[in-house]
Amino acid sequence: MSDLDRQIEQLKRCEPLTESEVKALCLKAMEILVEESNVQRVDAPVTICGDIHGQFYDMKELFKVGGDCPKTNYLFLGDFVDRGFYSVETFLLLLALKVRYPDRITLIRGNHESRQITQVYGFYDECLRKYGSVNVWRYCTDIFDYLSLSALIENKVFCVHGGLSPAISTLDQIRTIDRKQEVPHDGAMCDLLWSDPEDIVDGWGLSPRGAGFLFGGSVVSSFNHSNNIDYICRAHQLVMEGYKWMFNNQIVTVWSAPNYCYRCGNIAAILELNENLGRDFRVFEAAPEESRGPPTKKPPPDYFL
Amino acid sequence: MADKSPNSNSMQREINSLYGRHRIESTPLTLSILVLEDFCAATATKTRVKVYRLNEDGKWDDQGTGHVTVDYLERSEDLGLYVIDEEDNETLLLHRISSDDIYRKQEDTIISWRDPEFSTELALSFQETTGDHICSLQRTMQFSSLARGHWRGNKFILDMSDHDMSDQEEGELNISCAYYRRIYIPLFLLIDETFHNINSELKLPPVELSTLPLILKIVESGIADQLRVTELILHDILVGANLSEAYWSCSKIFRKLMELFRICDDLENVDGLHLIFKIVRGIILLNSPPIFEKIFGDELIMDIMGCLEYDPEVPQADHRNFLKEHVVFKEAIPIKDPVVLSKIHQTYRIGYLKDVILPRALDEGVVANFNSIIHSNNAIVVSLLKDDSTFIKELFARMKSPTTSVESKKTLFSVLNSMKVHFLHEFCTLSKSLQMVHQHRLFRDLVSEGIFDIIADVLQSEDKKLMLTGTDILVLFQNLDSNFLRSYVTRQDGVLFGLLVKNMLTDFGDDMHWQFVEIIRSLLDPLTPGSQRESIVEIFHEKHLGQLIDVITSSCPQNSDGQMDSNSVSSDGGSRSQSSVKPEILLNICDLLCFCVLQHPYRIKCNFLLNNVIDKVLYLTRRREKYLVVAAIRFMRALVSRSDEHLMNHLVKNNLFQPIIDAFVANGHRYNLLNSAVLDLVEYIRQENKKVLLRYLVDTFWDQLAKFESISSIHALKVKYEQSLESMDTTNTGSLLDQRKRLDERALEKEEEDYFNEDSFKRGDRAKKVTTVSKGLKPRGVFAALCSTLSETVLPSKKVATTALNNNPSNVNQNSIEPNVEEKGSIGSSKNAEIEDDNDKEEASRSFTDGLDDSADNMMHGDECSLFPPKSSPEMVVNGS
Repeated sequence: MSDLDRQIEQLKRCEPLTESEVKALCLKAMEILVEESNVQRVDAPVTICGDIHGQFYDMKELFKVGGDCPKTNYLFLGDFVDRGFYSVETFLLLLALKVRYPDRITLIRGNHESRQITQVYGFYDECLRKYGSVNVWRYCTDIFDYLSLSALIENKVFCVHGGLSPAISTLDQIRTIDRKQEVPHDGAMCDLLWSDPEDIVDGWGLSPRGAGFLFGGSVVSSFNHSNNIDYICRAHQLVMEGYKWMFNNQIVTVWSAPNYCYRCGNIAAILELNENLGRDFRVFEAAPEESRGPPTKKPPPDYFL
Repeated sequence: MADKSPNSNSMQREINSLYGRHRIESTPLTLSILVLEDFCAATATKTRVKVYRLNEDGKWDDQGTGHVTVDYLERSEDLGLYVIDEEDNETLLLHRISSDDIYRKQEDTIISWRDPEFSTELALSFQETTGDHICSLQRTMQFSSLARGHWRGNKFILDMSDHDMSDQEEGELNISCAYYRRIYIPLFLLIDETFHNINSELKLPPVELSTLPLILKIVESGIADQLRVTELILHDILVGANLSEAYWSCSKIFRKLMELFRICDDLENVDGLHLIFKIVRGIILLNSPPIFEKIFGDELIMDIMGCLEYDPEVPQADHRNFLKEHVVFKEAIPIKDPVVLSKIHQTYRIGYLKDVILPRALDEGVVANFNSIIHSNNAIVVSLLKDDSTFIKELFARMKSPTTSVESKKTLFSVLNSMKVHFLHEFCTLSKSLQMVHQHRLFRDLVSEGIFDIIADVLQSEDKKLMLTGTDILVLFQNLDSNFLRSYVTRQDGVLFGLLVKNMLTDFGDDMHWQFVEIIRSLLDPLTPGSQRESIVEIFHEKHLGQLIDVITSSCPQNSDGQMDSNSVSSDGGSRSQSSVKPEILLNICDLLCFCVLQHPYRIKCNFLLNNVIDKVLYLTRRREKYLVVAAIRFMRALVSRSDEHLMNHLVKNNLFQPIIDAFVANGHRYNLLNSAVLDLVEYIRQENKKVLLRYLVDTFWDQLAKFESISSIHALKVKYEQSLESMDTTNTGSLLDQRKRLDERALEKEEEDYFNEDSFKRGDRAKKVTTVSKGLKPRGVFAALCSTLSETVLPSKKVATTALNNNPSNVNQNSIEPNVEEKGSIGSSKNAEIEDDNDKEEASRSFTDGLDDSADNMMHGDECSLFPPKSSPEMVVNGS
């Protein structure tokens, strides 16, 4: 068994890697991710997953429902980290799978894959708590910069974490973004990761999130029409039923963190597309054991103070 | 437990069904509903009070005797105090409970206040003593005025809509049940003394093996009883403390419980041990700081740890053995103060309890209390040690080596002093628990004791872990105030700085060592305040830039076909193999150079232009690792964003885009990060209308680029190029007519600008209409296009050029979708273009001294350099989802 396979097995048991293993994994991942495009082409059949947010055991439920990687081809729409208790293990498992099976799993960037956001919503603190230093956080956030921004399934389904941008009317325009940077505060790259569709908005509206925009049905129609796509698949917003169509089936939100933050009471969903792009939403609930609180950690072996 | 009571559960269900929409919306409910439901469920009888009112003569009139309750005022969400006459059931008093600080306690049984509605002083005299609970009334009231929200799971979510939080999902504030209990229970006690009385019947039975099940039941019972249990235990502790006899020094309950524990432990009475485990866990979950103080004291804590070894749900642990035998308490310098020692051990043990023993059982309230004990212990320990001048002096005296030879320093550090460095690291880390001003003072003292000298020694040691620990200490100093290190580095002429650079270039194997480049960057950062920055920047550029460049040149193939040149000799005389430096180090160097390009515009001019530095950095494009190639492209992007004419000319003169274009062409039609990075660079040059580069790129590389013309950015580059040639022609044949046309155009552009300054989001629609009209026209801007359409009728001479430049639908589209940003940009640039056109002839005669104006130029373009975004953005930080 190779080191990588061993690490994947270890991560599947929710045991984090050592710092030096993380470093090596990240360097390998960098070489793979640098070859991906801003609009990464993905072949069907594929299973699309929304936000995970460090809910490791719930992600294991997801794999139970959706099948194991590499047997199932996966596309994750970002927000792997923050809020849950296991951001480190969650992200590292996905990254290890990416390095092991680069063609069977696609990871795109969410708004939480950012230095600023992770310092507020938990990933930074979790790294500090689990490793005693922020080294692992540093390496992971450097990798975030290399993650692709969106995906296109069989030229027909456009997948992105947040939504559309007023600066982007064609998929071609996404190509000229040098994505290797911290998520900016405005502009196309920011909008793709932060925007939300909104019923009451016609055209574009200000987002209450303070980044990205709200966009209405007409924007989605014209985008889908001019890019000749069937619909947009995105994540980014909690939906109690796990998925939600909007604007006459032109955009769908998929949410894959059941009982979000261990308290929202929502169910989660993944979207399975078969080779003909036929859709099947699979819903699932939270893993029972995780509602019990944070994991135990190994005590430090010595102390001065 | 409160959060498990039927009331809160049904409430939670109801609320879950209420917000079953895709956006979470707070469902406002006053917390008081829950208080009341629990309260009503738990109480059967009422509290007797007398109501007094201050009359005009300044005397208290007895208004009657009745029973007090709290309930909602009619048709209101406000809480009121009701006093119902015990004889005739008339309402004696109806008082709207105020969140203002109007209540006063007089003696133990009286509360009085100036009632805003009655405009007079009122008082309630309770039949039984109200104790200290009155004090908490005000606190409770003030809190209740804020507390609107809803239950989500077992958390109470405050509705923050009144507090300017734009994103409710992010603005939520969680209050655990424990917190809720702590704040609200006193209200029950005050409002209904009888409730208190009923439960005062509740007594803890004597602690015996046979009563353990009963005690457990009481400890784990509903919230009201838990409060009573807390009181009983506290009372017991107080009694114990008041009696000075050794026998009583520990509270009776705990003494007996621990006695029982030891017996059960000896006899391996598993059932008893499981009961004791649950009781101790239950007592911890009461979350009472005074109880924590007792059970985490030196006397009890090891026994408590023992009790917690017997969790019936997990295999037996051996916490006591671990704490006594396995974990090592290390002393760099013996600590003599017993208080400090006791706090140090206690801190570790509470952390152990929190993280290892009970992490899943503890609720947020308990964790918060544990953290605050740990935090205050840290502060106490650090400040006691820092004020112990002999301790610090001794620490440093022992670390300063008696001899100065490098060899002895190395050995000395690997053996004796490494522990003290690790100690210093922990000491500095914990000092975060101090107030900022005290931490600052402490660090200043450490500096004057010579901590940086020590770290400079550490950075020369052979122990890599120790070096990283030393570096972590520097990071702590940098995070507090970078002037400590700056003035040190300046004073000793950059020796420490040199060590940082050296280590940045050293292979640390599997260890992560980004800290070095981080410290160097923060020392060079012009955004952090400080006086000595310039001299450090000078040291860096004078002494170390060449060093970094050498590392690049010696690690990259010398010729562009990827072969190592066998004759390559680095400036230090020796030839190094390509593999000598790890790619991540090269990446760090390149990132640091990008940083310098953006932050030190003057320096890069002399250094980068004279020594062929740019050429050498671009050697990175020959590396096999694509992320290094991309890093080199980013370096070029940073240079171009400087908008420095002198620099641009240098790029052209030395054909420095050659390696970039080569890399792009070699990458072929693969759409990857390299492809996007080059297109971003090309787009930037086109959009900013960098004419020199534009012409250079197309003139020099079009043969290579032509096969990529299907990519819209490459095509647009060509179009822009032709446009600029054309505008040069028109300038050369400039006539009165042209000038008039330009005036007209500007007038139109003014209109255009005004239009786009309209503050409306609906303008997308209008812009789109315009697009349909202007499709197939000049891509530089919808309105500019319209203008030229108009001017064509007047100016037939212009026609040929206009139509020649027309076919870029994607650009027209882009403009129509984001009028605000894109349009303005292109308006600006087309204006600039014209102004430049006017000056075209003079341009040639401009001297190079013009480059000195760059500073102003750089200022203007500063915010376009988005490679290194500012560290914080208040909006986004608040609103992450």
